[in-house]
Amino acid sequence: MDITTNNKDNATILSIAGRVDTATAPVLEQAINKEIEAGHRRVLLNFSAVSYISSGGLRVLLATAKKLKGADDKFSICGLSPEVLKILKLAGFTSIFSIYPSEGEALAGW
Amino acid sequence: MPAGNGQLVPLQWQPLPGATGAQVYPLIRKIDTVSSNSYLIQTPDAILLIDPGGLPEQAENLMQVVTECRHEKDRPVFIILTHIHTDHFYGIQNVPAFAFTETVTLMAQENGAAALERGDKRYTLADLFSLTLRPMRVGIHLLAPGSREHPGIPAELCVANGGRLTVTRFLPHAASPLPDREEIQFGASGPVVEFYHTPGHSVDSICIRIGSVLFIGDLLFAANPGVAGLVGWSQEQLIRSLEGIGALVSGGGISVLCPGHGRLIMAGDAAKTLAMVKRDTLALTDIAELSPDRAADAAAYAEECMEEVNELFTIMAGRLYYVGYVLEELGESEIADETRALIHGEAMDELLDAFRTFADEHHRAGGLSIHLALKAGQVIGKMQRIFNKDELADIIDRSMVHRAERLLSDYITMFRGFTPPREITVTDINGLIEAVAEGHSVSSCSDDDVLSSADDEDAFARILLARLGTRPLLDEVDFAMNEPAGPVPVAIDRDHFTDLLTYILEDLVGTGSDHIRVGIEKSDSGVQVTVSGNVSPHGTKEKRKTTRFLSGLCERAGGSLTCSRETEGLCRYTIAIANVV
Repeated sequence: MDITTNNKDNATILSIAGRVDTATAPVLEQAINKEIEAGHRRVLLNFSAVSYISSGGLRVLLATAKKLKGADDKFSICGLSPEVLKILKLAGFTSIFSIYPSEGEALAGW
Repeated sequence: MPAGNGQLVPLQWQPLPGATGAQVYPLIRKIDTVSSNSYLIQTPDAILLIDPGGLPEQAENLMQVVTECRHEKDRPVFIILTHIHTDHFYGIQNVPAFAFTETVTLMAQENGAAALERGDKRYTLADLFSLTLRPMRVGIHLLAPGSREHPGIPAELCVANGGRLTVTRFLPHAASPLPDREEIQFGASGPVVEFYHTPGHSVDSICIRIGSVLFIGDLLFAANPGVAGLVGWSQEQLIRSLEGIGALVSGGGISVLCPGHGRLIMAGDAAKTLAMVKRDTLALTDIAELSPDRAADAAAYAEECMEEVNELFTIMAGRLYYVGYVLEELGESEIADETRALIHGEAMDELLDAFRTFADEHHRAGGLSIHLALKAGQVIGKMQRIFNKDELADIIDRSMVHRAERLLSDYITMFRGFTPPREITVTDINGLIEAVAEGHSVSSCSDDDVLSSADDEDAFARILLARLGTRPLLDEVDFAMNEPAGPVPVAIDRDHFTDLLTYILEDLVGTGSDHIRVGIEKSDSGVQVTVSGNVSPHGTKEKRKTTRFLSGLCERAGGSLTCSRETEGLCRYTIAIANVV
């Protein structure tokens, strides 16, 4: 799994490529926490190159949502593959954070 | 020295319990399908090697130990096979010191000896594991029917390796449960070695008793998935052999059982283990032979099955995490932790990762189907053991929990050699689809349920968990049916059809469809059910891989499935059911 971080339009965008599984979920969590600790509280995860998410990955997403629930905070995910979208929808996560088709639509929706 | 608890110490010479003058050197391996345990025994007049194993390096290591023994005192070497499956002997095919020297004499039960001498790839399982097999000369055919002509009378036998054997054959007693028996004394002063014919795992399986130690080959594994049904397997013979060895152990004088794979078993624990294997064996009536073709089918089904298992367990874990998240928001951290723990998320993830890693390596290296099928059986068996289905079904959608349970059990059923159960009945397809849709539209806990539980803290907690954990699939979906008036009888398996329809609806809803239409059309050739949904912008990237899984499920339901994505943004599943009643 590779993570690329960009700051754009007052948002921190983490673009993830690969599998978010038992081995890589802690790496993603560390990367997100590093941004939050640096005061970046408008976080968008670009999942357009994520092929798989495990329950460990889901736990990281919920932990992030919990940290970013302040009035001025933002947390969304964009670019989901059908497989990952299905898991997030059926798990009920869409009522906790927003999902957008693309980065542009996410930033416009904020 | 022997271990103080009566166990034997691996890779050390130690007195063989109950056999004066004999020593044993056990080589105990972690259980796998490649190679067995090996047991070296030395007596004043002979060196015996029970099951040299399937790996050349294992055979070479054993040969070094044998060479050291022969330097101390030169003696003939006998290799005794508990049966002729390749994992018990294949290592010696490529070790010239074992395979081509006159010092070494191979011994196997009559049927196994004949199969080795003709290089039989089927009975040795060389074909299942894609191994090249050379015919091997077997110097002594054990427990041959012809040798019963002089029962109870010792016969002297001189062997090409210089060994002198005293062989005594005994007739089986109809009234005795003990297996068919032969005794051999190697040289003048060694202990008597008893050979018992214990077919069932294979036609040539034997158990060997020396002193108070009983070497039992694969007797205790014979009912395991992926083992039961191997060529030569027989339920009837296996039950008789288990009873025979049970009687031998309960008769006393046995201290330890040495299996072909895994750790030794103390005699006190053996009765329970034998009874469990017998119970498992009794359930294995009419299983199919585990041939290379069936192994390939099982491996293909394993991958489809594991893909679905992966998705279902991830969704179920997500549901529990969601419930835990909301409970924490409500200040119920303790219940949140207990709820999340129910799914054993980390253990499940590790098992799923282990299978995927194995499957990736299998495809990269062109592995054998039987290995992939066995790995799936191992992973699914572990998942079944930690799957809290009853507790989970109280919190999240029962349909999801039950489908996960069926996926796991169907694979084990199929791998064991049975056909997963299927019950074709005449069913009104209109009524069934309406009932499935209704079940996915209504919450399992109504507002009235919540209100009526308000006075009971425990009941309220249960209802609250279920309310959070269940989500009617079609809750936010514009769903409509276009069906002919009146009942439409078809012959289908209701459970499989219900599962199929649920998987399809989940696929559509999960990938963003918020308009779903079901159409039912009658024609001369049968009934056609179409389920179509609009494709969301999220869902246009790639076609799901599960179509093959759904097609298989549809066949088991009694129909055939096609799936298409149309240019106007529709995804359509068409189920054709031919046999209208």
